[in-house]
Amino acid sequence: MTLSKLSLRNAKRQAGDYLVYFFTIVMVAALIYAFNGLIFSVEVQSLSKQMAQVPMMIVLASIVVVCIISWLVSYTTNFMLTRRSREFGLYVLIGLENRQVARLFFWENLIVGGCALVLGIFLGNFLFQVLRAIIFTLFGTPYYFSFFFSVKAIGLTLIYFVLIYLFAQLKSLRRIRRMKIYDLIYFDRQNEDAVIKTSSRRRKIFAASIIIGVLGTFLLMTDGMLFGIIGAGCIIVFLYGFFLSFASGVPAFFDKYPARKYQNRNLLVFRMLTSKLAAMGIIMATIALLFTACIISEGTGMIFRSILQNRAKPNSCFDLILSANDEKEETFKVCQNYILKNISVKDSRQYNIYLSDNDDMTDFVSSNTGYYRVYEYDPVMGKSDYDALRDMLGYPPVTLKEGQYLIHCQPYVEKVLKNWNQVISFGGEEFTLKEICTEDFAQHLYENSGNGFGFIVVVPDKVAEVCPISHVMYTVLTKEQVSEEQYNTLEQLLYNEWEHNGYDNTVFHSKAKEEADVAVMTAMMVFPLFYLALVLTMTAAVILTIQQLSETNHYKRQFELLRKLGMERREMSQALRNQFFIYYAMPAIPPVLIGVPFIVNLAGLVEPGIMVGGSHPAVIAGISLGLFFLIFGVYILLAYTSLKRNVLPD
Amino acid sequence: MLQVKNIEKYYGSKNHVTKALDRVSFDVADGEFIAIMGASGSGKTTLLNCISTIDTVSSGDILLDRESIAELPAEELARFRREKLGFVFQDFNLLDTLTIEENIGLALSLNHDNPQSVKKKVDEVAQKLGISDVLSKFPYQVSGGQKQRAACGRAMVAGQSLLLADEPTGALDSKSSKNLLEIMTQMNKEMGATILMVTHDAYSASYARRVLFLKDGRIFNELLRGERGRAVFYHEILDVLALLGGDISDVI
Ligand SMILES: Nc1ncnc2c1ncn2[C@@H]1O[C@H](COP(=O)(O)OP(=O)(O)O)[C@@H](O)[C@H]1O
Ligand SMILES: [Mg+2]
Repeated sequence: MTLSKLSLRNAKRQAGDYLVYFFTIVMVAALIYAFNGLIFSVEVQSLSKQMAQVPMMIVLASIVVVCIISWLVSYTTNFMLTRRSREFGLYVLIGLENRQVARLFFWENLIVGGCALVLGIFLGNFLFQVLRAIIFTLFGTPYYFSFFFSVKAIGLTLIYFVLIYLFAQLKSLRRIRRMKIYDLIYFDRQNEDAVIKTSSRRRKIFAASIIIGVLGTFLLMTDGMLFGIIGAGCIIVFLYGFFLSFASGVPAFFDKYPARKYQNRNLLVFRMLTSKLAAMGIIMATIALLFTACIISEGTGMIFRSILQNRAKPNSCFDLILSANDEKEETFKVCQNYILKNISVKDSRQYNIYLSDNDDMTDFVSSNTGYYRVYEYDPVMGKSDYDALRDMLGYPPVTLKEGQYLIHCQPYVEKVLKNWNQVISFGGEEFTLKEICTEDFAQHLYENSGNGFGFIVVVPDKVAEVCPISHVMYTVLTKEQVSEEQYNTLEQLLYNEWEHNGYDNTVFHSKAKEEADVAVMTAMMVFPLFYLALVLTMTAAVILTIQQLSETNHYKRQFELLRKLGMERREMSQALRNQFFIYYAMPAIPPVLIGVPFIVNLAGLVEPGIMVGGSHPAVIAGISLGLFFLIFGVYILLAYTSLKRNVLPD
Repeated sequence: MLQVKNIEKYYGSKNHVTKALDRVSFDVADGEFIAIMGASGSGKTTLLNCISTIDTVSSGDILLDRESIAELPAEELARFRREKLGFVFQDFNLLDTLTIEENIGLALSLNHDNPQSVKKKVDEVAQKLGISDVLSKFPYQVSGGQKQRAACGRAMVAGQSLLLADEPTGALDSKSSKNLLEIMTQMNKEMGATILMVTHDAYSASYARRVLFLKDGRIFNELLRGERGRAVFYHEILDVLALLGGDISDVI
């Protein structure tokens, strides 16, 4: 038996005893590797030039992940050191120097970390395939499975792991070197005390932290960077204040109301919890903080994605949109010529968008929704242009009789226009509303470049033609997707014209480009946010679980004794469940109370018509919570089944 | 071989000080078998811990082979523990991931001894202690008495000259206790091991050649067995304990 063999054996035992932790490190390695894969996959990078910005964001997210995981590793290592201090004391007692014990422990952790890394990279390959499939789908590119192996991705993952372990190990090695043999052997003599001792101070801190917490949540919801930062600060203060005062207050509460203590199984549940809670105030607060960050990043990620996707969707009925309010139409013509020469056009139409002589409808809509005013007067379109466009888009034809008009709008505007007085006048003549259509119609483009914004009024040609022109539109359906190169050329044409003749308000819009933008932004913002959220939840959940499972032997002895005293198995399992529920719910409740209002509020700031249907704030909040509790639930279930199996007498 | 000179040990902070040892002095010659007796809280464990370098003294000096252990540098200290000191606790203290054989041989092999000779030494010791047949088992698979004999084995396999035992029979039934005590006597007689055993049990103490009585951290009395039989010595110890007063029940 040499030191290295002993390390190896201890490593095996560590992986077994702390299986949940080991599993988490494997998952983290898999995540890090899969995301590194996105950086180094030539295939993914060649989807679009814009993908070049993605690596930066992934590296940033990875740095945060490295920090969090090195904290986790450091915390767990420290925890193991404490639990196994007697073992280490014995090594010293039989003549090992602290230096050697440190080396022993170092190798043990290195072996565990190394195995996790190897397994993680293996698993990461599958995870990478999933991410790749999502990105390809976002770009609308056909997806085939192909084996991915990148030395660079492995290298970067290795670097991250070295950083993680370096930080955590240095700390524990220093601790081992300084440890006195007496402290190691008699570790259990030193008991942990509650942090806040006097109850009046505890109550004050508790009350103050609740107030600060509510204040912080509100500040987070106001806009403005400064308020946001102060709000985040308040939340942190709240969580620490709350958990330090509350956790250490539970024992005091029961001491004060002994009747409660002896009610049902309270005593048992209470005793199982107090020892942990009193010592875990700070860690509980940290866990709650991680959970809060997790729920917020999940929600933010989904809101982001909804904005990107739902802003693009109403305009995606046309493959190309070109518009200009320049009278001379010079740039417009240059671009149009390029399109006609270089892009195979299936169908196209050039037409004018006019302006009415008043802004009654715009006023009405903007006073009833969070409508963003783009036009000074209500936008108008001629019936024949409208018919042609409907035909082009394959929508069923509509008819308009003398003295009638119709409205084409986005669904959210339709709801408001139900209460519209419905009679409008053009040049003294009155028109009544025939109907409202709500198909996608390029009505979510800013800078007067679409078919109105949110809505447009459709009137007979002769009525429209006398109105002033807002801008010229040229909408195109192409046979093939507009390529990135074609888009760039068009953009360059516009840019050249601007350089020579000054800004002239010609706007160019391509569906393919918009979709690529959504895909890139999703890869750039949403993926990293979810990556972070996953790591945050796993880290916090695994710490809670390690704490819970470390009590296995203690619980086991306790339940054996209780059985001898005549307690039924059913009752024991109930007590265990209650204890479990409270233990896991505590750090999860404040994050839910902070996270949900934050998400709902953030989603509410977006312009109307975007956060609807599957993107409704409530749905997003629900999915965020669902995802969070799904991962959290896996850990709870793992801990519960393990405890139940090992603790309850048969 | 061991000189304890006027040692004192205080525990606690400024406002609450416990004096666990109060000017304790005694000498231990090579090959002695000494029992240290006293009621619970009288400072027995503290004394043993100070000698074994687990703890440090507040004042005074402990010399081993004329060298003060307080002045040993870390490396020397580790060597001292490895080569000269064997320790047996009340609650066994074997590593539960290692087999009995590995537990006994651990210090030797970490010491880079030749693996062949480690095996031989372990077998030899196991033979003497009567645990040859459980060598390949893990601690949780053997009885308390066997575990304690394994701990004794570990404490002497490297030829350690000083065996310190803190209530080694405390967790054993009377038959296993007797067995262990006989083994310790044998180790003392045949292998010349110097033994310092803490106990609060007069029966265990009667196996020693000399008994030191501790009370409130001080040496209160000393009893030499001389040429008397064990049974006679046992009754003499009981007499001293009666004189010591206090928790007789606890002591017996
Ligand atoms: N770590 C410690 N901190 C404070 N007091 C201690 C500590 N260890 C022992 N003591 C005190 O020192 C005295 C002697 O303890 P100990 O040597 O363990 O007694 P024994 O082993 O004879 O039962 C007791 O009063 C005990 O309370
Ligand atoms: Mg003691």
